[in-house]
Amino acid sequence: MDDLATLVRRLVAETLVVDAERVGPDTALMAELGAESIDFLDLVFRLEEELGVAIPFDRWSRYLANRFPAQPVEQRLTASVVKEFAETMLQEAAGSVPPRDTLDGARDST
Amino acid sequence: MNERVAITGVGLVTPIGVGADAFAEALFAGRSGIGHVTAFRCEGLETRIAGEVHDFDPVRWVDPPKTAKLLSRAAAFAMAAASMARSMSGLSPDHVAPQRIGVSIGAGGMGPTDIELLALQAEAVIDSARDIGADRFDVPAFARRYRAATNPLAMLKGLPNCAAAHVAIQQGARGPNNTLATACSAGTQAIGEGLRQIQRGDADVVFAGGTDAAVNPVSILGFSLLGTLSRRNEVPGAASRPFDRDRDGFVVGEGAAMLVLERESVARARGATVLAELAGYGVTCDAYRITDERPDAGEAARAIRLCLEDGGATASDVGYINAHGTGTHMNDIVETRAIRQALGTAADSVGVSSTKSMIGHLLAAAGAVELVAAVLALRRGLLPPTINLDTPDPECDLDYTPWVARPRHLDAALSNSFGFGGQNACLLVRGW
Repeated sequence: MDDLATLVRRLVAETLVVDAERVGPDTALMAELGAESIDFLDLVFRLEEELGVAIPFDRWSRYLANRFPAQPVEQRLTASVVKEFAETMLQEAAGSVPPRDTLDGARDST
Repeated sequence: MNERVAITGVGLVTPIGVGADAFAEALFAGRSGIGHVTAFRCEGLETRIAGEVHDFDPVRWVDPPKTAKLLSRAAAFAMAAASMARSMSGLSPDHVAPQRIGVSIGAGGMGPTDIELLALQAEAVIDSARDIGADRFDVPAFARRYRAATNPLAMLKGLPNCAAAHVAIQQGARGPNNTLATACSAGTQAIGEGLRQIQRGDADVVFAGGTDAAVNPVSILGFSLLGTLSRRNEVPGAASRPFDRDRDGFVVGEGAAMLVLERESVARARGATVLAELAGYGVTCDAYRITDERPDAGEAARAIRLCLEDGGATASDVGYINAHGTGTHMNDIVETRAIRQALGTAADSVGVSSTKSMIGHLLAAAGAVELVAAVLALRRGLLPPTINLDTPDPECDLDYTPWVARPRHLDAALSNSFGFGGQNACLLVRGW
């Protein structure tokens, strides 16, 4: 999945208009790079185009609520999280994971 | 004793120059900023000329750089102008609390008319018709295509208040934040309402002005269909000819002007250089017909009189009027009547000009740019000309400063704006 990591890094850099060198896997996109909520809408739109998959409009917010239940995301939202989201979207598109609503029922423990 | 309100900075993005120096140079030299439209192909359109701002890079004026992707062209103009005005004013965060800084901006139609968004919507319509094998507009099919092709951020460019909101973020202005959408009088009213924000104690500093970016197919066609635009496509520089017998309508321009308005005590405490006093504001509405002006000019004249009264000035104090002067038959004649009614015999000796002859009509930004022209006239003791004025309309019998700038000591100057919808607005500036 190195290709995906590289793609995410590039898209994050384009979305936030920063040099790609500033985007490490653990860089906090909000706290360190100044991302705001709408930047993630922009980022998901770009992922959708690059990956060639349709991502429902509220998929990102549901993913985050699931991944970080009742936790502030300022420090936690990293490029790695975006990459994991992208992986999940690819798997869902390929039909290799259960339908989205079922998946959202089971919260992971990160 | 009411405190005065000072103008301590101005910033401009206009077809005749970006920044006060470039603007002033062209303004007093009588240089036209009107040319053939380059923003889009316009073969077949009745009007193919406009006042465009060339080589404008929004990224230069925003921080962080990602802000640029949120901006309509008009919002970017406003941010650039506000940034220049702030820089000229020398106002630093130590001088005034963010909660005491307001924003007041006249704005027109924003993002949805930006040409990139128009193209995107048009492609979605075409693709959606192809999807359903039909040659009609189908909303569900369009929605699928539009959703797939449109960046979610596009919506934010279209909000009419986005210019004022971005200026507030850029300038750290947490006080009252107002957007006026009163068409061609919006810039003037925004500055007038900014004056009121300070006078009534809601703010100590206000970033006030106007912005518009109507050089797009929808706006040009729209005004053209209303029969208001000049069709002198062959000689663009001669197309905008306010008060001239041979005028045939206005020329759309784009741009912005922002001013830093400042409470006297704040400006004095920090030793600011004051450009002029913003001394008075008058506003009325014709309440008559949606685009026709009252032929008797009664309400337009009353706006000018209210403005003089508000500023404690008399007609004979006024040495210069920056006219609305669009170059439509109706405006030129009614405005001439209004000036005569409001000033009485003093109208015979006042210097008048329409700087739209050079800049074009910047719509919601027009009044703001033109007030800055009046401030520059006051500071330099020089009246900007009305270019292209060869043969005055017989019903236009004031001194319109044809072609060449003229020296004149000024104590005070007025700027008029009248808008579709009937709004009449006037501002008074005075030497400090």
